[in-house]
Amino acid sequence: MARPLRVWVDHRRCVGNSMCEALAPAVFRLNASRQSEAINPAGDTEEKVLEAAENCPVSAIFVEDAQTGVRLFP
Amino acid sequence: MGMVTLSDDMFAADVIADPYPYYGRLREEDPVHWNELYELWVVTRHDDVVWMTRHHELFSNAVFRNDPRPAYPAIDESDLGLYEYVRNYQADQFIQHDRPEHLEMRKVVHSYFTPRAMEAWRPFVQKAVQELLDAAEHKGHMDVMKDVATPLPVLVIAQMMGVPAADRPHVRKLAEKLLNIGRGEHDRMKPLTEGMQGMIDYVSPLVDERLTHPGDDFISVLAAGERNGVFTRHQVLVNTSLLLLAGHETTINLLCNGTLAFIRHPEQWALLKGDPEGWAQRATEECLRYDAPVKSLQRLATQDVDMRGKVLRKDDRVRWFISSANRDPEAFAQPDRFDITRDPNPHVAFGSGVHHCLGATLARVEGQEVFKALAERFPSLHLETEVLEYQPSITFRSLKSLPVAWS
Repeated sequence: MARPLRVWVDHRRCVGNSMCEALAPAVFRLNASRQSEAINPAGDTEEKVLEAAENCPVSAIFVEDAQTGVRLFP
Repeated sequence: MGMVTLSDDMFAADVIADPYPYYGRLREEDPVHWNELYELWVVTRHDDVVWMTRHHELFSNAVFRNDPRPAYPAIDESDLGLYEYVRNYQADQFIQHDRPEHLEMRKVVHSYFTPRAMEAWRPFVQKAVQELLDAAEHKGHMDVMKDVATPLPVLVIAQMMGVPAADRPHVRKLAEKLLNIGRGEHDRMKPLTEGMQGMIDYVSPLVDERLTHPGDDFISVLAAGERNGVFTRHQVLVNTSLLLLAGHETTINLLCNGTLAFIRHPEQWALLKGDPEGWAQRATEECLRYDAPVKSLQRLATQDVDMRGKVLRKDDRVRWFISSANRDPEAFAQPDRFDITRDPNPHVAFGSGVHHCLGATLARVEGQEVFKALAERFPSLHLETEVLEYQPSITFRSLKSLPVAWS
C-alpha cells in the first residue's frame, strides 16, 4: 500500500509550463488561469509525482508524506 | 486629452537608447496596438503578456516556418537566399514548434535543465567567473561585455556540449558570429549563416560519436532524441546551436544590463555589497525585471482572437513586450525604480507557459555568481564612460560595450 502524499503548487511561482501535467496528468491539471493544481495526489505513483516535482522549471511543486509531514520534495 | 499618434518606428534612435518611455505610452494609451509600419500587433501589458503566453494554442511559436514576410529590419537584397537558410535553420529548433510536437521535443531536453541539475553547475560557474575576474583585476579596468559577459556563457555551454579544450577558441569564434541573430545591420546574414553552418560542421562528427558512445553531455541528450525518432539529424544539429543562439546574447545582456543598473543606483549597489551572498538571488531577479535581456518576442495568431476590443486575425504577427510588462504599474509598485528588495517579483523575463525559457535556472545561476563576485571583488566599480550605445534590435536589449574601472 503506497503511503498517502500531500502535494501542492505555489502559485506565486508557477508559470504554467505544464510539464507536471504532461508527466502525471492524473495528479496535476492546469486551472483556468493556466496554473497547475494538484487535483489528486494519489493519481499516480510516488515516483511519478516526484519526477513531476523535480521537472518543474521554477520549483513550484512541494511534496510531503501526508501522515508524518516529512518533506519529500524539494 | 486627445490621443497623440504614437510613432511606429520601434527602431528610432531614441527608442533604442531608452525604450521605456515609448513602451509606457503604448501600455497606457493603446495596450494592444496595431503597428502599421511593421504590420504587427504590439502587446504591452503584464496581464495580457501572461495571458498570451499561457494560451499557446492561440499564438503559434512556429514563426520561422509559417511567417512568409521578410526579415526586419531589412537585409541586403542579395542576401535573400541566406535568409532562406536562416529560416530553415531556425524552423528546426524545438522552440519553433507547437504542441503536440513541441512537447515531445521539449521532453527530450527538459530534464537536462532542471533547477537541481543546473544548481550542480554553480561551482563550475563560480570558478569561471573568478578566473575571468583574475585576468582583469591587475588592469584596474575592463569591458564587462568583452571580458566577462561574452566569454562566461560560452565557457559553460562548451562544457555542456563536451567540447574538448583545444576546440574552445573555434566554438567561441562561431558563437560571436551567431550573435548577429539579434542585430539590425543590413549585411548581418553573411556572418550569421557562417556561424550557423560552422556549428553544423563542427557538431556533426560529435553527434556520430555520441550516438555510439553516449556521455552525460547535452549533445548526447539530443542524440538520444534522434535514436528515439523524436529528432531528425538536422534538428539535433540545430538544437545544439540553439544553446548558443538562445543562451549567449541573453546572458550577456543580463550581466551587462544588471551591472549597469547597479552602477547607476549606488544605494542598491551598497545594499548588495553589504551582503552579496544574501542578496544575489533577489538582485538577479530585479535585474531581469528592470532592464530585461529580451525586450520582445513574436508569435502568430492561430485563429481570430479578441484582445481588449481589438480583433487579431488568424496569421497576424503578434509581438509581446517583456520590457513593457516588467514595468507595468498594475503588476509592480513603483515599476521604474530599481529595487533589489522587491518580493515577490513576478517579472516575465523568461516568458511564461509551455515555452518558458529552458535555460532560466542557468541564467539565474550565472547572474547571481557574477553580481556577487563583482560586489565582493570590485566594490568601487564605476563607469569609464557616460556614452553608452545599444544594438539596434527590437528583440534584445544589448549594450555595445560596458567599460568600467575600480580603484
